[in-house]
Amino acid sequence: MITRNVEVIVPPKEPHYVGDGFRVHNFIPSAYRLDMKRMDPFIMMDYNSKFYFPPSETPRGVGVHPHRGFETVTIAYKGKVAHHDSSGGGGIIAEGDVQWMTAASGVLHKEYHEENFSKQGGDFQMVQLWVNLPATYKMSKPKYQGISHENMEKVALPDNSGIVEVIAGSYQNAKGSATTFSPLHLLNARLNKSGKANFDFPKSYNTALLVIEGSIKINGTEQVPTDHFALFENNGTAFNIEALENAVVLILSGEPLNEPIATHGPFVMNTKQEIIQAIDDFNNGKFGTLND
Amino acid sequence: MKQPFFNYLKDKAMVKAEHLPVLIALVQEKEFKKGALLLSEGQVCQHAFFIEKGLTRLYSIDEENREHVVQFAPENGFISDRESLYFGKPSVFFIEALEDTSAILFNQDFIKTASEISPEFRNYNEYLLQNHIRQLQNRIHLLIGADAKKRYLNFIQLYPSLTLRVPQWMIASYLGITPESLSRIRKELVTRKSK
Repeated sequence: MITRNVEVIVPPKEPHYVGDGFRVHNFIPSAYRLDMKRMDPFIMMDYNSKFYFPPSETPRGVGVHPHRGFETVTIAYKGKVAHHDSSGGGGIIAEGDVQWMTAASGVLHKEYHEENFSKQGGDFQMVQLWVNLPATYKMSKPKYQGISHENMEKVALPDNSGIVEVIAGSYQNAKGSATTFSPLHLLNARLNKSGKANFDFPKSYNTALLVIEGSIKINGTEQVPTDHFALFENNGTAFNIEALENAVVLILSGEPLNEPIATHGPFVMNTKQEIIQAIDDFNNGKFGTLND
Repeated sequence: MKQPFFNYLKDKAMVKAEHLPVLIALVQEKEFKKGALLLSEGQVCQHAFFIEKGLTRLYSIDEENREHVVQFAPENGFISDRESLYFGKPSVFFIEALEDTSAILFNQDFIKTASEISPEFRNYNEYLLQNHIRQLQNRIHLLIGADAKKRYLNFIQLYPSLTLRVPQWMIASYLGITPESLSRIRKELVTRKSK
């Protein structure tokens, strides 16, 4: 077991709005060293750090937009989001829940603050992660996986350290309920003060964490404050984290797909030709219909 | 306001939020009353137009005073005389507002600057150019190789909202047929449907 060192700790960038309901710091792919190739298969991460939205009669959010070629993973830490899509799907993502949407061949999609949450206002905190799909699955049928906090696989850590929630992949012997198209792990560590957790992922897996609450120390040396992102080197497999105060940490680790990437906004394919096709299909209404 | 063009850049061209205000600041918005000319024969076309609201057509007038409609551009459409705008030649066309129209005006400098600022814009502009060539190719193909009925059906598909907004003689001109022939085709299609 060789220690995996921290490559860089990335502070959150200036936030920007996605629609009017998501005030996000982008980490992947715009931050230094966090481009799509380096983070492969994770191609985008927007983080809405904890932010108070005052009450609003009209729910804030982002209107109808398309996706093709990848999966969107929405992890709700505070607040509630309602979503609808062109395949007739929809639902509410509440605190602690995760929604795993395989956009694949294409969906139209919209996301808004859930009606009651919007009326009451409150703290809102979410992560949206885009996971790239292997070429073979880019044009497969879209699907959803809703993972409620209640049904999420949880591993209790020794010495009252806290728990690790397994969203996808595995932790120790626990397997996450989300199925993925390439090997990856997505975990939430909820640690009590001084709580410790160990992780071990294959060396080639691109690995990172985001501190959602509190602050932590990695491998006993590197301190990471709230809302900061840590990228690991691919020089080892194992690392540990220790909570300096009660902490919530999102951990991601995935085997790189090592395939060519061609992008245009919410279309992520392998070749330029496929991007042109996506634009054409979108303009010709082949993503279906969804009203604003 | 420039809201429709802003939305077009955001939702179709997928221009990133941080680039949108920069690009929007580079274009001009102008209103045209119904019947106004956006371009006249003999002028050098200075702008391409994005139609935010209303309807326009590109047409020429021949020696016998007959009008020939080359293109319509409703909301979210682009219209210009490329030979005049890009190659600097005096135009052989007119562009007319068929309804009260609000348009965004931009020139080649805008395309160049916007392409440097936004890779998404550059990609989409290339797509639009290729798409325009495709449409022109299809139009030539239909004009030389298809009967009038097929051309009319294609027109309905391409411009679904226009059959009620444009006088029949203009549609006939676009199709390269007489208004009488168009009237006959429409009658035939209606009779066939009602059978």
